[in-house]
Amino acid sequence: MADALKNPSETDLEAVLEGGGGVPGVIPAQLDRLLNFGASFSFWPLLFGLACCAIEMMSCAGPRWDIARFGMEAMRASPRQADGMIVAGWISVKMAPRVIRLYEQIPDPKWVLVMGSCATSGNIWNTYNVVQGADAIIPVDVYVPGCPPRPEALWQGLELIRDRVKQGRHAYDGMRTIPARVAIGE
Amino acid sequence: MAQSHLDELSPALKAVQKELTSKFGKKLLDTSVFRGELTFVVAPEDWVSVLTYCKESESLAFDRLDCLLGNHYPGRTDQPFEVAANLTSIPNTTRLRIKTQLAEGQSLATATGIWPSANFDERETWEMFGVVFEGHPNLERLLLIPEFKGFPLRKDFPLEGLVGGRIRTDLKGKL
Repeated sequence: MADALKNPSETDLEAVLEGGGGVPGVIPAQLDRLLNFGASFSFWPLLFGLACCAIEMMSCAGPRWDIARFGMEAMRASPRQADGMIVAGWISVKMAPRVIRLYEQIPDPKWVLVMGSCATSGNIWNTYNVVQGADAIIPVDVYVPGCPPRPEALWQGLELIRDRVKQGRHAYDGMRTIPARVAIGE
Repeated sequence: MAQSHLDELSPALKAVQKELTSKFGKKLLDTSVFRGELTFVVAPEDWVSVLTYCKESESLAFDRLDCLLGNHYPGRTDQPFEVAANLTSIPNTTRLRIKTQLAEGQSLATATGIWPSANFDERETWEMFGVVFEGHPNLERLLLIPEFKGFPLRKDFPLEGLVGGRIRTDLKGKL
């Protein structure tokens, strides 16, 4: 064990986590896992719909698909209480600054699910007032294709979000600033 | 052609047509009926006077402006733009459409003095077609960003196209 501490690069991390009582660093790592496990069952999205995909999002929150089973039914009306964002619908150029502001007001850690073809890529609206993909302005964790996606598809996307919550991975990992800030040079 | 369809009108709309024709006569440039819907075309100078009469006449009582909208017909070289007002009379349960035709750059008097709800409709018609409404209290962009250049519902506006990247707007100062 002393050799392992001297040469941390050669240490098998899993072995340390499994059997390494008394090694500093073990407890925080396990605590993170515990916290992420709990957070994955209380993911509260922002109550926020942009277009027709929001109707499917609402039915997903309703009794038939019932995402309350996974602790996701509490859609918070304030970004300060939310854990993430479901971008449900096309983003107009006029709406884009509001979307960015809502994203920035969600406290870390946060996850973004982009729902539907319009928010993913602009869909057929290659026109004068549509942002061509939400990833042009904010970091995105999961894309759900469809026009609009069925509630089952959104459910699967939310399961992928829960995997990322458990792993503690975020789309903004490694980003110094969000794409919109890069675009305006801040 | 239009006259032959006059018998499709309901009795209430026939009374409307008779009253407006007797009141304005030659000022109504065209009368048409399509599936029981009555439409008049007036000159831009008579726009406000005809609409005011429709609202304030006791018997017509068109007290509600359903919508006011624009059209662009590039084929009509002299008067490519059209503004249409759809009126509803709640007491008489009748509907009426009044149109006017405009040349490029020609302005039209505002209807906000008659129905305040014309405010947003005229702002949208201006931002989409470039029809200027004289006397409008606040003629600014309604649905688009204030810096937008061009009038997107004109037929010669490019249907596709990226103007300035994927975001296509300058977000500086707005975040």
